[in-house]
Amino acid sequence: MSMTDQIRLPKSAPRPQIAMLLIGLAAVLVLTRAALPEGLIRPPDWLILPFADWVNTVFTFLRDDLGLMALTRAFAGMVEWLLDVTANILYGKSRWPRLGPLPWSVVAITMAALGAWLGGWRLAVLAGGTFTWIAVMGQWQWAMETLSVIAVAAPFSIVTGLLLGIAAWRFRLVARVLDPVLNIAQSLPHFAYMIPVVVFIGVGPKAGAIVTIIFSVPPMIRMTALGLAKVPDEVVEAGRMGGATPFQLLRKVRLPTARTEILVGVNQVIMQCLAMVVLASFIGMPGLGQKLLQLLQALKIGLSVEIGITIVLIAVVLDRLTRAWAMRQPQHHAGGLRWWQRHPVLLAWALAVVLAFALAQIFPILAQVPRREALSIAAPIDLVMDQVIRLVDPLTTWLRWFLITWVLIPLRDAIQFLPFSAILLAVAAAGWAIGGWRSALVVGGFIALIAVSGWWDRAMITVYMVGFSVCLAALIGFPLGIWAARGEARAQRMLLICDTLQTFPSFIYLIPVVMLFGVNDVAVVMAVVTFAAVPLIRYTTLGLRGVAPELIEAAQMSGATRRQLLWQVQLPMALPVMMVGVNQSVMFSLFMVIIAAFIGTQDLGQELQRALSASDVGKGMVLGLAVAFLGLAVDHLIRSWSRNRAA
Amino acid sequence: MTLPNTAPPATATPPVISCRNVWKVFGPRPGAAIERLKADPLARIDGHVSAVHDVSLDIMAGEMLVVMGLSGSGKSTLVRCLSRLNEISAGEILVEGRNLAQLSEAELIDLRRRKMGMVFQSFGLLPNRNALENVAFPLEMRGEPRAARIARAREMLALVGLQGRENYFPRELSGGQQQRIGIARSLAVEPDIWFLDEPFSALDPLIRREMQDEFLRLKGMLKKTIIFITHDFDEALRLADRIAIMKDGRVEQIDTPDRIVLAPATEYVARFTADIDRARVLHAFGLGVAPDAVTAGAVTEGAALPGGQTLRSLARSLVNDRRDWIPLADDTGRVTAMLERARALDILLGDAA
Amino acid sequence: MTRTSRLSWAARLSLAPLFIAASLAGAAQAEDSADPITIPIHNWSSQIVMSHAIGQIFEGLGNSVEYVSTDSQAVYEAIRLGDATLEVEVWEGAFGASFTAALEKGGIHEAGNHNAITREDWWYPLWTKEACPGLPDWKALNDCAAVFATPETGEKGRFLGGPVDWLKHDAEKVEALDMNFTVVNAGSAAALWAELAAAEKDKTPIVIFNWTPNFAEAVWPGEFVEFPKWEAGCDTDPAVGLYPDKVYDCGNPADGYLKIAAWDGMPEKWPAAYAVLQKVSFTNPQIAEMAKLVDIDGMEPEDAASAWLAANEAVWKPWLE
Repeated sequence: MSMTDQIRLPKSAPRPQIAMLLIGLAAVLVLTRAALPEGLIRPPDWLILPFADWVNTVFTFLRDDLGLMALTRAFAGMVEWLLDVTANILYGKSRWPRLGPLPWSVVAITMAALGAWLGGWRLAVLAGGTFTWIAVMGQWQWAMETLSVIAVAAPFSIVTGLLLGIAAWRFRLVARVLDPVLNIAQSLPHFAYMIPVVVFIGVGPKAGAIVTIIFSVPPMIRMTALGLAKVPDEVVEAGRMGGATPFQLLRKVRLPTARTEILVGVNQVIMQCLAMVVLASFIGMPGLGQKLLQLLQALKIGLSVEIGITIVLIAVVLDRLTRAWAMRQPQHHAGGLRWWQRHPVLLAWALAVVLAFALAQIFPILAQVPRREALSIAAPIDLVMDQVIRLVDPLTTWLRWFLITWVLIPLRDAIQFLPFSAILLAVAAAGWAIGGWRSALVVGGFIALIAVSGWWDRAMITVYMVGFSVCLAALIGFPLGIWAARGEARAQRMLLICDTLQTFPSFIYLIPVVMLFGVNDVAVVMAVVTFAAVPLIRYTTLGLRGVAPELIEAAQMSGATRRQLLWQVQLPMALPVMMVGVNQSVMFSLFMVIIAAFIGTQDLGQELQRALSASDVGKGMVLGLAVAFLGLAVDHLIRSWSRNRAA
Repeated sequence: MTLPNTAPPATATPPVISCRNVWKVFGPRPGAAIERLKADPLARIDGHVSAVHDVSLDIMAGEMLVVMGLSGSGKSTLVRCLSRLNEISAGEILVEGRNLAQLSEAELIDLRRRKMGMVFQSFGLLPNRNALENVAFPLEMRGEPRAARIARAREMLALVGLQGRENYFPRELSGGQQQRIGIARSLAVEPDIWFLDEPFSALDPLIRREMQDEFLRLKGMLKKTIIFITHDFDEALRLADRIAIMKDGRVEQIDTPDRIVLAPATEYVARFTADIDRARVLHAFGLGVAPDAVTAGAVTEGAALPGGQTLRSLARSLVNDRRDWIPLADDTGRVTAMLERARALDILLGDAA
Repeated sequence: MTRTSRLSWAARLSLAPLFIAASLAGAAQAEDSADPITIPIHNWSSQIVMSHAIGQIFEGLGNSVEYVSTDSQAVYEAIRLGDATLEVEVWEGAFGASFTAALEKGGIHEAGNHNAITREDWWYPLWTKEACPGLPDWKALNDCAAVFATPETGEKGRFLGGPVDWLKHDAEKVEALDMNFTVVNAGSAAALWAELAAAEKDKTPIVIFNWTPNFAEAVWPGEFVEFPKWEAGCDTDPAVGLYPDKVYDCGNPADGYLKIAAWDGMPEKWPAAYAVLQKVSFTNPQIAEMAKLVDIDGMEPEDAASAWLAANEAVWKPWLE
């Protein structure tokens, strides 16, 4: 918390008096709460607009009157056909082309070869090892179900994102329309996407694939547009002077030069797809996610840990592979080599695959590991976990009691005690202090929209959970980041850990907390704290390491102690970067709180899940937007703060 | 006073490129801004930047024009107007008699594919293509068959001294080598007009010198019309047939190096020439006067000095020679001018001495 | 020449499966389609096992079967549109509303009725009665609400409800009957049993959401809370029920149905499977047994289904005739 003292408002803050006035007004409202009319304490009924009904009307019109349903169904039919093809090849679903399933050994060899080609033998071992683990642990079918969906969704997202990214870069109008849409889309909780998909597409693998596509497209659009905008002018001019037509310029000059950004986009698409693996199982996506959800709900910890490890391994492998691909720089070959000398990995792969196909005919275990013969580490994990849980039980019980009784409940009561009018004023004041009347209007508008949506109380529960979790995460994250930034090697190691943790699909974080704390609010808070601490650690480390060495040397030569150095020089300089971490941390917390609804929370997430169950598009959209607005308000404040500071 | 200079004869052939009152103003309403500037050169044009300011100049076939100016002087914008990478705001540019602004997209592309080549300050190489493919790029654009363009690209790489590096990617090569690729690429289509936008500015001083020599070699071999941009006055003096000095989008002076040094047109130009070792720059011809203008009675016979050389390189002869007037011969050995020795010595030894 | 013939060869090869499928479909008008029967599965054990059991019976008939995990409310919309083929457990209390709504829209129909009575409502294990002797009456429960207080709920009693997606109207009921309780939703059925097992250790009073048929009855003897009796319309019409101005001022139906729903297209597409489905009927103990195999014995649902079918051939063999 002490860290927030450092967030000093710039001296030139536009009219702090007005902000103070607003704060004062809010304080008056709080103090005179007893005397206030009810309408200033809770948003009165007449203020609440039936957004949900409006949205539903629009959707019904789109679906029934405009016949959009036929269109979406046709689209879904095409996706399903593609899904059937990959499903047949990967796990032998009885559909055209009826070739599969590929023996697991062939897939593992292929992945290892990809790893070797892109990143050397370490990556080969990681990739090959992961797929061997999947087969040996008897999870092949589930993993292939998951991958068969990703194999369709990811390319689809990549192509769509590429095209939209090009359009956004090329046509200002498209960019202007897309930008706010993407902003909101990227802050909408996952569940909100799913409801319209259920309505328009239905349930099952195709719905899972489509929701995954929708969710994973935005970063691809962003990265493509960014990459194209970053192509150096001179390269483009060189292309034009070379006599390239506009299309040649795009295809042969701009896109290849933006390759790294585009591939980073590809990497992000794949990571988003994996993040959806578990969540999309809420609407019928088969595979690892569905299994994990079932096992976790059945509190089968050992088995869910096994699946969790697999999901993490797949995420890490796909992340490393695509990252290696993105970072790969072209390298020349010595002249006069035969093609097989130039492509040793390709040759080795071809030979190994042929061999594996042949061996799989003789030894069926190389084609498929039957579940009965599969290994399992669930029993020992359960055993160990039982011991650990028994050991830490007094602590977790106490922590649970303490947090609930002394922190969570009082906080919740406090935030519910505050009149909504006071909160609105306070938020507007923060906006005014940071970015003037414009910001006050923007953030005040976001919060006011939540008030008139009719979900004020639920939203405030989300706010207190997120607020408390981020504060707790800051208490852990800032010191850890400062500690890690003390040495270059240490910082690198910490950043690597953070990067790896960030590749984990968010759902994975729920496994250990459910193990330790059971199914309750404390578990949710703990999961959110863990998840939200990662960006804080990461950006604190990055920010502190990024302070110019001359500045530090100058301070040292002025006789600053380590403590002074940290507080007077390093932290103020690193603050803008650290605030990026805070921003991300808030976003992550919001998402996690919503996902954690399945553990049993009382906030917007729970209502969202209820809306999903009832396929209530309007309610789902309103709730989703309420969550998005909370995120966007924080995002706006932090961004304007950095902008003012830079100016 | 000085008659013969190295400027091409103005009447022999029409100019390759001809600029007439060219303006380039960046901003939302360039037309209105230009009107105001025409009325009052000091008018405020908020939100607009006048990068090229009423520029008129001719570039002759086979001539090398160096456009010199500090950063922000509009020189890079001017060269981009000449190649129509930027559309001009007013005025007209004729390339071989054709109005550049009126060319259709297809005609423009065709012009660039056959007539123009350009070298860029930061090389502008495609990172995903190796040296050979980079050089072959313009040929690929104009649809030449693969074998032909690869052969041509190899030839060009050999020309710039990069044989053996065909398979290397730009990132694997040094800055100087990368710029050699850039030069090879710009020459691959055998352009008549060669634009070079600060080609050596991004290089280390030693490499820059080496590349300048290399450039002079190529220039001698290829006989092209060259527009060369630089912010380095020494470089301009070293390479140019004529120099255009730009400031705030205007051409302050356009003339031969010798005349710019001897007779700076404005104070701004004079500030550049002030610290120059003029003996290194001035050619003997630059000081020469017509033989018949020499005062009667002066000794005109005896060995002639090569007039195309700088005073510095003639220093020994000038000091040793006792004649007041020394005849100057051109490349063919014909005496075309007379040099006043005292004046040459003044410049050689410094005016103050 | 050679080129075209090679092309057509490739085309023929790629189309071959289509031709085969088409000819099969044409030849076997009376037989089941080769397309898979899609059986939806949800988040409670008996339904998953029963789905697999019926699926395995279908597979025995030569059908292909696919299982999709779906939301238990959204599934009726999915069946109506043919995305899913059937639903083996339609509980009146939980899904009656969604089922009825889908029936009205068309595309779905009732294919069978289990020989089982269902009830879902507030429930307590017997040891709770010691702390609150007036049970099972709901007013007595309300009077000793303080006994059920937890840190989360403060002074009010805690009612541990099922996952939110079961769409129980417990909170509405608490409000309508002005009860001194707070509804806390467990994330899953397993969370309910975990809490129940924890309470059993020191015989803590607890009131949770429970249902029958369910394995829990055998493990933890207990009773349902007796709310004002359910009357049709109690959930929609304020006039119906205990209070004239409230909805949900009543308990859930005490003898609810457990039906089987099917897609309208199923009888035509898979006539043989449909004929079997119409005869399917399980009893309360059978359903509880299926849940037990998974929840207590820790079997995988597929294996539990096989085990149950193997042990109970007498029950299901007659359905095939």
